[in-house]
Amino acid sequence: MSAVAKSLARSDARFALTIVAGLVLVNTIIFILPLLYAAWISFHDRDVILHTQAFIGFGNYRRILASSEAIAAILLSLKFTVLVAVASLLIGLGIALVLNEEFPGRRLLRAAVLLPWAISEVATATAWMFIVNPTFGALTGVLHPLGLVEANHAWINANTALYWVALAFVWHITPLCAFLFLAALQTAPESLYQAARIDRAPAFQRFLHITLPHLRPTVMLVLVVVTVEAFRSFDLLFAMTRGGPGTASQTFPMLIFRYTFEFSRYGLGAAASYILVAIGMAITTVYYFVLTRRRRLVKIDGAAAQPSGTRLATAEKTAPS
Amino acid sequence: MKKTVGERAVLWIGIPLVTAWTFVPILAMAWASLMPFNALMNGGLLQWPSGMGLTNYKAVLGIATINQIFGGQPMAVARGFFNSAVVSILVAIIATAMATVGGYAFGRFRFPYRGTLLFVLLSVRVLPPIAVLIPYFVILSALHLVGTYFGLIVTYLTTVVPLLTWMMTGYFASLPIEIERAARIDGCGRLQALWHVTIPMASPGIAAAFAIAFLTAWNELLFGIVLTGGTAKQTLSPALLAFSPTMPSGGANLGMTLFAAGSVLSAVPPLVLALLVQRYITRLNVADPVTLQGD
Repeated sequence: MSAVAKSLARSDARFALTIVAGLVLVNTIIFILPLLYAAWISFHDRDVILHTQAFIGFGNYRRILASSEAIAAILLSLKFTVLVAVASLLIGLGIALVLNEEFPGRRLLRAAVLLPWAISEVATATAWMFIVNPTFGALTGVLHPLGLVEANHAWINANTALYWVALAFVWHITPLCAFLFLAALQTAPESLYQAARIDRAPAFQRFLHITLPHLRPTVMLVLVVVTVEAFRSFDLLFAMTRGGPGTASQTFPMLIFRYTFEFSRYGLGAAASYILVAIGMAITTVYYFVLTRRRRLVKIDGAAAQPSGTRLATAEKTAPS
Repeated sequence: MKKTVGERAVLWIGIPLVTAWTFVPILAMAWASLMPFNALMNGGLLQWPSGMGLTNYKAVLGIATINQIFGGQPMAVARGFFNSAVVSILVAIIATAMATVGGYAFGRFRFPYRGTLLFVLLSVRVLPPIAVLIPYFVILSALHLVGTYFGLIVTYLTTVVPLLTWMMTGYFASLPIEIERAARIDGCGRLQALWHVTIPMASPGIAAAFAIAFLTAWNELLFGIVLTGGTAKQTLSPALLAFSPTMPSGGANLGMTLFAAGSVLSAVPPLVLALLVQRYITRLNVADPVTLQGD
């Protein structure tokens, strides 16, 4: 490295640090201070009518962890997250496999597949209400004339609510998974497929032995993205069932909303959201270590040790057109 | 090359399935939005009644009145469109600028604690919005800023900026550094090089970041309800939700056709934007800094 390049590199680091310091400062003001304030709120029992508050230490936390309603909501959140993660992984992969083939109108279908992701969760809820509504929904409209269900069949009931909401959420989030998979599929090693064709390996075997191993890192990435989105999701649940019927789809974020904005129990809500944060952090940490560990393994393979130029070429190629 | 049986099966079964999966819920909603309310209630969704038309759209925008129960609500929806547009555009501009600069610093340079700071960004990403919302609501109520654009924009920035910085980091890391370096060695200042070389190269990513920020703010419901619900600055999602049968104010199914029309209208700006930057969004997602970190 020349002397000029070296001095550039040194001042570059200072430049970058300045920017990052600014960003961290802004983040601290708009993010970390409010979070600290939330911690303070969570240690108090605040009465909005009498305008009093008493320090109660971990009282709110204890109350939540001792409440069967809260535990049920946490478990429901985890169930919802797992359902959404598994289903959107599989459906997203399926969509990507179809879109990866060549057929007339492929570009059009590719663009169209993105639509459910672009519309809001409120609009998603509206759309699915017209499928499952007992009075005028499409599902009853199709199945009732066939004699399969009675008229006014309540599709969303205490046993099924969570599954329907999960399905609607999967519909909303799947395009993202499909596009991540599609990008990975387009970098799949073509020469291997050709060799497999010459050997007359059936399509399913090609998928099992070439495509799936190639997609493994993307599977992890999709799992991270979807888990995060599902675990924190609120809008769709609120718009579609509002946690009901009863508490059948009351996930933890829904419960926090009720604590805080329906019962005005800010301390309880803040404490509950810290518990939610802790669970979220635990999940992310696991994912982070799995992701970085995998990267190290790949590096030992030597497969990832490509110069930046090649990497750019790959990145360009992965953009589906 | 000739397709094998397996591939053809994937296509013949897959294309109709993918199409149906994507379009059936949207079509159901769009169809209902064109129906007269009484026809929907009496005959269900699967029919072609007389009187199909744009009446619901006119009503939801406050141009015509058809449903007395929601007297003031159509006005709220029309206002919601305006409020959401103001908030979303401002959020998109500010967030994109911050994320571009931040992503540039993270993606281009090595400095102490870089990994830790990236991890902080990633963990901020998983924080549930409601955890940030409670302190914001308390602070903003104390400052009498509930029901203002300012309060809503700041809260949106807290969720959007970390995500976009994370994405832009990966994007900048995937761009070749050589051209920028050449410009620097030729005497270009750092900011000059950033402005004239790197940012033009990164413009697809920046466009995608703008779109994602806009979509996030436009589509969001929770912050909108809590910080603007029922006020003159109410955004679109909470305004629409007043028609929903799940809301206490919703009056069972009475608002369903208006709800459908409003939801279809609300989906138009995101759809247009998503189609415009579709190919760039894909590239932005691919380049995530965890898997693409160049160290």
